[in-house]
Order: sequence, then structure tokens, then C-alpha cells
Amino acid sequence: MSKKDIAVKLENVKKIFKIDGKEINVLENITLDIYAGEFIAILGPSGCGKSTLLRMIAGLDSTTDGMIAVGERIVTEPSVDTGMVFQEARLFPWLKTAENIRYGIAGMNKKDWSKEEQDTKIRELIELVGLNGFEKAWPWQLSGGMQQRASIARALINNPSVLLLDEPFGALDALNRINMQIEALRIWEQEKKTMIMVTHDIDEAIFLGSRIVVMSDKPGVIKDVIDVELSRPRDRTSADFALLRKRIYELLFEDRKTLIEYYI
Amino acid sequence: MNRKKDRIINNFIAVAVPVGILLFWEIAGRKGWINTSIMSTPSIIAENFLSLWEKGTLQKNLLISSRRVLIGFAYGTIAGIVLGILMGQFEKVNKAFAVIVGVLRPIPMIGWTPLFILWMGLGESSKITIIAISAFWSVLVNTIDGIQSVDKRYLEVASMLEKGKFDNIIHIVLPTIAPNIFTGLRLGVSNAWRGVVAAEMIAATAGIGYMISFAREMAQPATLLLGLVIIGLICLVIDSVILKLQKIIFKWNR
Repeated sequence: MSKKDIAVKLENVKKIFKIDGKEINVLENITLDIYAGEFIAILGPSGCGKSTLLRMIAGLDSTTDGMIAVGERIVTEPSVDTGMVFQEARLFPWLKTAENIRYGIAGMNKKDWSKEEQDTKIRELIELVGLNGFEKAWPWQLSGGMQQRASIARALINNPSVLLLDEPFGALDALNRINMQIEALRIWEQEKKTMIMVTHDIDEAIFLGSRIVVMSDKPGVIKDVIDVELSRPRDRTSADFALLRKRIYELLFEDRKTLIEYYI
Repeated sequence: MNRKKDRIINNFIAVAVPVGILLFWEIAGRKGWINTSIMSTPSIIAENFLSLWEKGTLQKNLLISSRRVLIGFAYGTIAGIVLGILMGQFEKVNKAFAVIVGVLRPIPMIGWTPLFILWMGLGESSKITIIAISAFWSVLVNTIDGIQSVDKRYLEVASMLEKGKFDNIIHIVLPTIAPNIFTGLRLGVSNAWRGVVAAEMIAATAGIGYMISFAREMAQPATLLLGLVIIGLICLVIDSVILKLQKIIFKWNR
């Protein structure tokens, strides 16, 4: 993974929401180069616009000002070249797991791939996300974590260059979340994709991120970009991990005298 | 234990109350509490059923009415689903038809009947049109309702995958509204039977509605009541068949 290829470029990105005629600055001055193969964790308090930023990279929301590019493409609308995993798995309840993944195949690929090729791809992805044996399960028969695995498989089937993850494990219980983080790491190492994950979980950001983009709110700006130089897989109980955690705590709560209000 | 007991009691009530009413009705007729020359007792209706069945008039009328319902219902349903999807999916179509639907829908079927007879004569087409319209409204309204409940978050998933509007109708809109369409069908089929009776009572020489109307002219309350009971029973059977189908088809809907 060459550090020179820029996978995603953010230049002076700005977002203003109009609420009740009043303009609210949601994001300001967002400038960042994301390199191919990086795992970027965007960390910040709720309301800092981090999800909006991700949705703008996805092309689901428009920027008020500034420029976003994925590879050579200036983002103006969604593209199959960027896969998206939402906070809720958003599987279709009327399709079984394998068919939900098949739905992910974009129109142009559907024409090119024979039924056998499609089936092979689906089988490989089910293997990758660890859903063997659940191909024929209805979404309601899957646990929250398994639903999210299926949703990741659906997002990967067109082999996008960038995978966006919007607090994908936020709704899971603590143990399940750690499990899914280990899985996400494994998928990232195996697929060697650029991944951008929005999270409000400091440990999750440290465990996964090649770099952590720390944001603050009102208006949402990038406070700092931290290179995480710990070797993988990272030990959450190690001293270096704790040190980094403390540094991020302090960044996030600079303005407060106590950390009491922060719970994970 | 208690739940089982409850169920037995509930099932008993469901059977006992209608049977009790029938019994009371029968007794009231025999004791002379009600005038049997205008209100036949259940046993007389049953006898009448057997004699009409032997003559074959009942089957003939039933067949004719059923055929009309089936054809009219099919036209009405298809038109309701197509217009419902178009109105639900395209704002301009919705705007174009909203007022027209709002004005036409409340007009009762019995009001339309003379007009269609004037336009199309006494043949089959006027009756089928009336039945089609009866079924049409409930399917239309339920389809539009269903489209409004389409999950915007699914449409975002689709747009990330660059799926087109037509693809969305097939893969997201139709599965979402399928249960609503079934509700529309259930209401539509009883409306269609209502329509057929209205049409046949005014202008027909055969059919259940005609049988009822003719029985009134001949002062035969047994035949008249028999017609009403048959329509009720048919609607009940069709309704439970559609419900069963719904459960089989929508296994995912939990």
C-alpha cells in the first residue's frame, strides 16, 4: 500500500444547515487527504457533523462549499465505487441473507456476471464476513452483529475502492462490539481497502484507526489528526493504548474541568 | 393451563352465539312472534336452499354472479395497483388525480349503476364496470398508503448501489406494499360482491342480485334471505382464503 495514492480528498469542505430560516454551521474548513489502504477513524461528540461528513463523501448529502474527491471522481452523487455501511444494517426483511447480498450487485455488474459468478462472489463474501450457514436465514433470524456482517458483505460485492462505515457497531452491546471490531480489522487487512469509519467510541478508534481524525462540535472542525503507531492487533490493556486514550480524552474535553460527563 | 381454558371458552362463545341466535329466530317463527310471510325461519330458508339447488337455479345464478365478480375484480385490482403505484411514486401523477379521486370515491355504487346502464346498456359490460369500480377504490387507496410507508433508508441503500427508479419499484416498493395490496384485495372482493348485487338488482335477468330482487317482487322472503346469506358466506370464505395466502406468502413479515 503506497502512501502516495490519495483515495479520498477533502478540500475546505463546508456544510450549512438551514433550520427555521437560521443558518447553522455544521462543518467548516474540513481539509484532509486520505491515502489508499488507510483505516481512518473519525471521532467526535454527537452533533459534530461527522456522520454528515461521511454522507457527503458517500454523495448522499451535498456540500455547501469546498470539494470532495474519491480517486479522480469529484463527488456529486452516490457511486458504486464507494460502499456504505449504515448504523442500522438496513437489510431488506423480504429477502434472505444471501439474496440481500446479491441485491448489492450493481446493474452493470449484474449484466456482466453470470449466475454462477454471482453465486461464487456471494459465497466468498459470506466466508469473508463469517456468515457461513446463515445464507438462507431471514434478517429477523440474525443477531444485530450478524445483520451488520451481511450489510458489510452487501457493501463489498461491487469491490468498491472505499468503504464508508457510519457508526456500524454503535447499536451492539459492548462485547459484541469488540468482536465486530476484531472482524472489521481482519476484513480490512484481508481486503486492503480504504476504510473510513465514523465513531464516538475512543477505544474503537484507537483499535482500528491508522489515523484518528478528532473533531469538535459547533461548528464541526478537525481538531487534530493523530497517527496511531501502535502495532496491530492492538492491545486495549497496554500502557501505550492507555496513553493514547488519555491524549484523546484531553483533546475532546479540553474545555471542561472534569471528564465526568463522558461515558462510553 | 389458564390460557388453554380461555381458548376453549372463546371458541365456544364464537360458535354458541350465532347458533343461539339461529335457534331463537327459529323458535320465534314457530311460535308466531314474527310474521313468517315476510321473515322466513332458518329451517324454511334451508329447505328453500335444497329445492333451489335441485332445480339448479341457485348454481346458475351463483355462477353468473361469480363470473362477473371475477372479471370485474381483476380489472379493478390491476387498475388500482397501477394507478396507486403511479400516484404514489410520481408527484405529478398524484397531483393530476388527487382531486378526481377525492370527488369520485365517495359516490356510492348504487348511484353509478343507472349511469353505466345508460352508457353501456343492460349487457355484461355495464355490470363488470360497476364491479371493477367497487374493487378499484379499496385497492387504490391501500396501494397509495403502502407506498407512503416505503422506508427512505432502503432507498438510500439503493442509491448507494446506483439503482434506478424502475429497479426500486420492483425491489423495494412492491415488496413493501404487497401486504397493503392484500388488504386492498380483501376489502375489494367484498366491495365487488356489493357491486354485483347493486348491478344485478337494477338490471339483470340472472345472478344472485337478480334472485334477491325477483324474490322481493314475488314476495318470497325465503329466497331473498337465502341470497343475502349466500353473499355473506362467500365473502367470509374468500376473506379467510386471502388471509391464509397472506400468511404463506409473507413469511418474512413478522
